[in-house]
Amino acid sequence: MNRLLRLASVGIALAAVLGLMLPVKAFSAEEIKIGVIYPLTGGAAAAGRELRAGAELAAEIANGVMADLPMTMAKNGGIKAMGGAKINLIFKDHEGNPTVGADLAKKLILDDKVHGILGCYHSSVTKTVSAVCEQYGVPMINGSSTSPDLTMRGFKWFWRTTPHDKWFTKDLFELLKGLTEGKVKGVKAVPKKDIEVLAAACENTEWGSLVTEMIKLFAGEYEFKLRKTLLYADKATDLSSEVRSLKAAKPDVMLFASYTSDAILMLKTLKAEKAGPKIIWGQDAGFETPEFRNTLGDDIVGILTRTVFLPQVVEVKKVAGQVNRMYKAKTGNDLSGASARSFTGLQTWVHVIEKAGSTVPAEIQKAANAIEIPGDELVVPWAGVKFSTTGDELGQNVLGSGLIGQYQKAKDGKVALEIVYPFDVVTADMVYPFPGW
Amino acid sequence: MDLLLGSIAAGIVLGMVIALVALGLTIIFGVMEIVNFAHGEFLMVGMYTGLLTAQATGTDPIFTLPVAAIVGFLLGVICYAGFIKFLIRGPMVAQLLGTFGLMLFLRNLALLIFGSSDRTVHHGILVGKSFDIGMGIILPATKAAAAGLSVIAFLAVWLLMNRTKIGKALTATALNAQAARYMGIPTEKMNALAWGIGGGSVTVAGALIVNFWAVNPFMGLLFTMIAFTVVALGGFGSVPGAFFAGLVVGLIMEIPGFWDFFTYTFDWPWMADVPMTSLKYMWIYVAYFVITVIRPRGLFGWKH
Repeated sequence: MNRLLRLASVGIALAAVLGLMLPVKAFSAEEIKIGVIYPLTGGAAAAGRELRAGAELAAEIANGVMADLPMTMAKNGGIKAMGGAKINLIFKDHEGNPTVGADLAKKLILDDKVHGILGCYHSSVTKTVSAVCEQYGVPMINGSSTSPDLTMRGFKWFWRTTPHDKWFTKDLFELLKGLTEGKVKGVKAVPKKDIEVLAAACENTEWGSLVTEMIKLFAGEYEFKLRKTLLYADKATDLSSEVRSLKAAKPDVMLFASYTSDAILMLKTLKAEKAGPKIIWGQDAGFETPEFRNTLGDDIVGILTRTVFLPQVVEVKKVAGQVNRMYKAKTGNDLSGASARSFTGLQTWVHVIEKAGSTVPAEIQKAANAIEIPGDELVVPWAGVKFSTTGDELGQNVLGSGLIGQYQKAKDGKVALEIVYPFDVVTADMVYPFPGW
Repeated sequence: MDLLLGSIAAGIVLGMVIALVALGLTIIFGVMEIVNFAHGEFLMVGMYTGLLTAQATGTDPIFTLPVAAIVGFLLGVICYAGFIKFLIRGPMVAQLLGTFGLMLFLRNLALLIFGSSDRTVHHGILVGKSFDIGMGIILPATKAAAAGLSVIAFLAVWLLMNRTKIGKALTATALNAQAARYMGIPTEKMNALAWGIGGGSVTVAGALIVNFWAVNPFMGLLFTMIAFTVVALGGFGSVPGAFFAGLVVGLIMEIPGFWDFFTYTFDWPWMADVPMTSLKYMWIYVAYFVITVIRPRGLFGWKH
């Protein structure tokens, strides 16, 4: 009997110890579920693949331990403050459709019970998805939508790491102004009347419409003549009447905001219609995708695009070079504006959760508003990540910045982007005027 | 002036391409009085056929036309024999909904097989080349080829309908199927033939169009609507009508170009702010509406 009692007490003691251990074990095994909503099919599917790969790579780094990578998240093997909890990404495809995006966000929040959302590339989709997140009080970080409007709505659950189009468009006009003042490397001062007349064609969703507004705003401010602006459907099968309308305005500078397939179609149509402005500038997105480069080949030499990341950044930033090698091993491509910003978006998520040390929305909100990631942790050439918490813009990263690149032919015959703006980090002489087709 | 001439030329070339798209629709309607809502999807099938054949065999997309013609002919005949034949026994509503169902079926089949991404031809003899004729007229080689083939296709169909026995049999079937049957004309075969020719002509159009327009599973409806307008304007069932109506619709689609001409000729800045290119398809539907109200049988209509 005594023996039996002793056995029983040992058993009870064991059970108690196990019981104590169980919650700890459950806690360390907890995973952080982030819903990632990107355009994995449709016109922007090529960008979607890069966005996905960028986020996946960031998650792999955060969940593993990579001693030689100078990033805080590479050292912790998960979220340190939560006992090494792993990041689990749940990908959804919004097809570029704002309604689909909002439905997916609801599903992720209600069914998958995600702790936060990352996405969505298209500003129009980010708009509806962030509205859903705001309604349910679920934090959302956006890494790659650049419509200025998004952070001007006073949302409390929305943070954006990328700089937006107001900054980028201003960069363009600074470059044009620099051209007239002889500040551009490799180009003598251009008389203003040579590049004075502008025409713009932007896709007609949220993003393109707002880029048009920004172009109008700065054309006035910098005293350029914007003779034609038009919006087109990004799913258009034919853009020839749009291109002829642009040509009719006889612009010196043509400005575009396009997603992938429409950017390619636009350029092909410009070539077919023999349009020959002095400068062609694209507002990133389609103009920066590998598909754009691979499809159009030498035809894009001389075209400018604003961007946030170029392979040349790798030469300046060691950490970008290391991540780029891993990305290339994973996908076969170099990091681009889409993948680098998606990477940074998820990296910011990891930092926020680490700081919050919890998945409670209010804690995450507090952490996001207080976070400060130094620039040397990032692959993108920014001063860091720090969100504004006061003023007109809530949740906008105030430490971001943009680049303007130009497609040029390297000695090995490959067409690649060189930095032509800002003037203090240029990597090549600018080709001016646009050499034609 | 360059603007005006350029727009007229572009409108005419586009019109010929559109006429080719509409040709199959008018043949099928002419013979069987059935409206094929899946017409745009046939075009899509032609575009995918051209694109994939070119990619698979490494040939130029322009040489894939015979393949597209055969695929289209078979598609037309199979649709008729397997589906439409049973449908025409029902009321008009059943025919409408039936071909509408066919449209949804083909579209979703394409979505399943090809995914929703846009696909385009990037290389080819004609791709990316264009002729600068002067006076503002620039003809992309791909569109010029499509326009040329359109003329040939129309001539061929017109000759077939008016100068051959088969054509007479088709016309007889169209005018009075019962009487034609009494005369020993195999009307069933004639119907199948109409679907074959209709399908073949539109897939050929697709294989040409894919040289300059992107294809995705959803693009069919836009072309169905444009083809409807052409056929309504030209008169349901009229082959020459479809051609001339195609030209008119092509010019209607160039309204933004004419608008620009007036904008810059008279230098009225307010005109430049009107988003005419965003409204380019609207004018087609306006035209469709006006025709159905003013002249329901169309310009060359001979039925009813």
